[in-house]
Amino acid sequence: MGIRFDSVTVAYDGNVVLDSLDLTVEPGEVMALLGPSGSGKTTALRAVAGFVRPASGRVLLGDRDVTDLPPHRRGIGMVVQQYALFPHMRVHENVAFGLKARKTPKGEIRGRVAEALEMTGMAGYARRFPRELSGGQQQRVAIARALAIRPSVLLLDEPLSALDAQLRSGMLAELSRLHRELPGVSMLYVTHDQVEALTLADRIAVMDAARLQQCGTPRELYREPKSEFTASFVGGANLLPVTVVSGGVDFAGTELKADTRGAVAGARATLCVRPHLVGLGEGPNRIVGTVTEIQWRGATHRLYAEAGGHTLMADLRELKNPPALGDRVMLHFAPDDAVLLPAGVTHA
Amino acid sequence: MLVHSRKGRWAVWAVFLVLFVPLFALPLLVVLGASFATHWSGVLPSGLTTAHYRSATRGEALQALTTSLVTALTASLLALAAGAWAALAGAALNKRHRRILDALFVLPVAVPSVVVGLSVLVAFSKPPMLLNGTRWIVILAHTVLVTAFAHQSVSAAITRLDPAYEQVAASLGARPGYVLWRVRLPLLLPSLTAAAGLCIALSMGELSATMMLYPPDWTPLPVLIYAATDRGALFTGSAVAVVLMAATLFTLFAVSRIGAKASYR
Amino acid sequence: MPRRLLWAMPPVALLALFFLYPLALVVQQSLQPDSGGTSVQPYADVFASEAFRHALWTTVWLALASTAGCMVLGLLLALVIAFVPFPGAKAVARFVDVFLSFPSFLITLALLFIYGSVGMANGLWTDITGAADGPFQFLTTPWGVLLAEVTYFTPFVMRPLLAAFSQLDTAQLEAAGSLGARAPRIVRQVILPEALPALAAGGSLVLVLCLNEFGIVLFTGAKGVTTLPMLVYSKAILESDYSGACVVAVVNVLISVGLYGLYRVVSRRAGA
Repeated sequence: MGIRFDSVTVAYDGNVVLDSLDLTVEPGEVMALLGPSGSGKTTALRAVAGFVRPASGRVLLGDRDVTDLPPHRRGIGMVVQQYALFPHMRVHENVAFGLKARKTPKGEIRGRVAEALEMTGMAGYARRFPRELSGGQQQRVAIARALAIRPSVLLLDEPLSALDAQLRSGMLAELSRLHRELPGVSMLYVTHDQVEALTLADRIAVMDAARLQQCGTPRELYREPKSEFTASFVGGANLLPVTVVSGGVDFAGTELKADTRGAVAGARATLCVRPHLVGLGEGPNRIVGTVTEIQWRGATHRLYAEAGGHTLMADLRELKNPPALGDRVMLHFAPDDAVLLPAGVTHA
Repeated sequence: MLVHSRKGRWAVWAVFLVLFVPLFALPLLVVLGASFATHWSGVLPSGLTTAHYRSATRGEALQALTTSLVTALTASLLALAAGAWAALAGAALNKRHRRILDALFVLPVAVPSVVVGLSVLVAFSKPPMLLNGTRWIVILAHTVLVTAFAHQSVSAAITRLDPAYEQVAASLGARPGYVLWRVRLPLLLPSLTAAAGLCIALSMGELSATMMLYPPDWTPLPVLIYAATDRGALFTGSAVAVVLMAATLFTLFAVSRIGAKASYR
Repeated sequence: MPRRLLWAMPPVALLALFFLYPLALVVQQSLQPDSGGTSVQPYADVFASEAFRHALWTTVWLALASTAGCMVLGLLLALVIAFVPFPGAKAVARFVDVFLSFPSFLITLALLFIYGSVGMANGLWTDITGAADGPFQFLTTPWGVLLAEVTYFTPFVMRPLLAAFSQLDTAQLEAAGSLGARAPRIVRQVILPEALPALAAGGSLVLVLCLNEFGIVLFTGAKGVTTLPMLVYSKAILESDYSGACVVAVVNVLISVGLYGLYRVVSRRAGA
């Protein structure tokens, strides 16, 4: 079953925290809502779960308008950041909770609980209490609990942010596997971590300041960001303030070739270049700068250079003879690797 | 640690002992000592005896103990039911309504117990609700007095309760009643038993309203202690007071055991 | 009416029937003199009486002095327990909790044995000096009530303070200490500002409880110490002067509820 937001607006005490969101999650799709805190992503998820009531707009699950339905009648599985396992129930009772609440026949409950625990690799822990489990195990039980009711929509609210880095990447792989095993389940995955979103999601909806900024596949967002926010939030980027000229742009007196289709000569714009696409030495689009900082990151060197009053970042394959601070260096990038964006309110 | 020098620390501790022991430890020890004595006109009590306990655990005193226990348990259960109900209902209200409800339910803390006694006396001394002269008027006054404390501690516990529990439960398809019964109340159980303990302790020691209301056949322990000291029987009074303290502590202990056992198993 | 509001009604109805309605009757009765009719005559009579004015004064100054004493003593003891801990400090904190669950009049009962005219202290004095009477004769004066109230209510100040202290970041104290700040300075500049809301909240609660205290005064049994709650009791039960009792009750409620409102505001600010 798909999820559809139809101009959903949510306001608390007159503060708009979600501004007319239009978004569709296709059946079986994993949609990540990616954004910083306060961007409205969690509010959007809570509107689907039924914990906040939109001031206007509709939320649809499949063809059903659920805007006015209480949470317990929506048939949604949900996993939250702090797991929220019921501490007074054993693991199997936690997993059986939704089934009992829905008055599933007793004989069936046992099988469904076993199945859900099996799926999350927690079959051996059925008789434990939540406090006897590690964080990662608790999150698996929380996922099993949500899956036991066989929901067609699964909401995940920052499910991995309470885990340490190593566990997180393991759980990320688990979630991918679950998604493959449950092809019919739509997932709405709220996160502030771009790695999680890029790894797991079929599509990503980037949110900022209560609004949807851009929605697309991870590749689209990375290759063709439509705003400075998306460019810098997904993947990180050099954002150069430029003026459009014929056949290219002007950056602080340096002319650069770029695709300027759709832009008017003389207009102010932002040129977005990913740091790993910037090279050292001669090349098509050249910028001369002064090295202000150089960081060794194992496989790469991150070089910061000042040019035209701006700092450029370049991620370079590990250098044998890295330049010294204060050296003048020449940086370049291919015209195809740069994306011209409308000028933002402020330049980074 | 705030004071680093050894000398300084010992000085601070000495001051602490000089203040703490005579003010707080001594009174309880003195009551305990007096309950075993027949005279006390020197440093130590004299004429050691257990006779006071013999009289403090039978007849009139035994009946007063039962009276106190029955009153405290009944009033606390009623207060807990009303207070918890109000707190749970209040948690679902909007801010303005909740504030009004909270203010109403803490009012009995602010109103002097003597006045609560007086008001109950004025209101229930005439038909249709003629309670004056029965044990119910005492239980009623105690219930009113401790409801505020029950409400306060339960609502504090509700605000501390992570809303994620009930939200996850609801998303799993549990109706509000089921969430209350299977999730919220079990999670609140430790606070509920703590609140019950507080109510019982308050009710066991209640004197102000009780003095205005008690009928001759429903004399709780504090009244009996007052009656004993008023007629000069300080040593007997002390023994009854020790019985009161012991009964209070025992009940508190029992209630906290129930709480510990029932919560998180 | 929305359903949520409906659910709040049963307990409110019970409260109204068993608490608010009786309270309203007290106000009503306070305006009905024995001679019949409705008038403010009972108020005029009560306000004119020397006994009432004396009781009002005694109640207020006793409550204020007790509160001040409790706050100073409570702060001092809580500071030691929290920041200069000794073996058994935890047990002492536990003891404070237990202390709170006992009735107030036990303190007066104990003081009778310690400072009573034939009690411990005076007995010791007469044994040593051979005098006929001991020097401790304050128990039946307001000072006896003051001592009992300070003793009984100090734990009410200590408890919120200990809770606040346990939230305090010890790293902050260590930083201040490592910068060479001495203990009194750390207390004044680091601990006190953090603990002030808890101290204020505890203090205002104690003020209200002292204004309403009855057991301690009753057990003291002194004719000279009459407070407002005591006056309510004696007028209603001993003199059967109900309208007079109701007048005093209304005055007492107004003072206490007013102060308690203040306490709620303070403690809400403090986030308690």
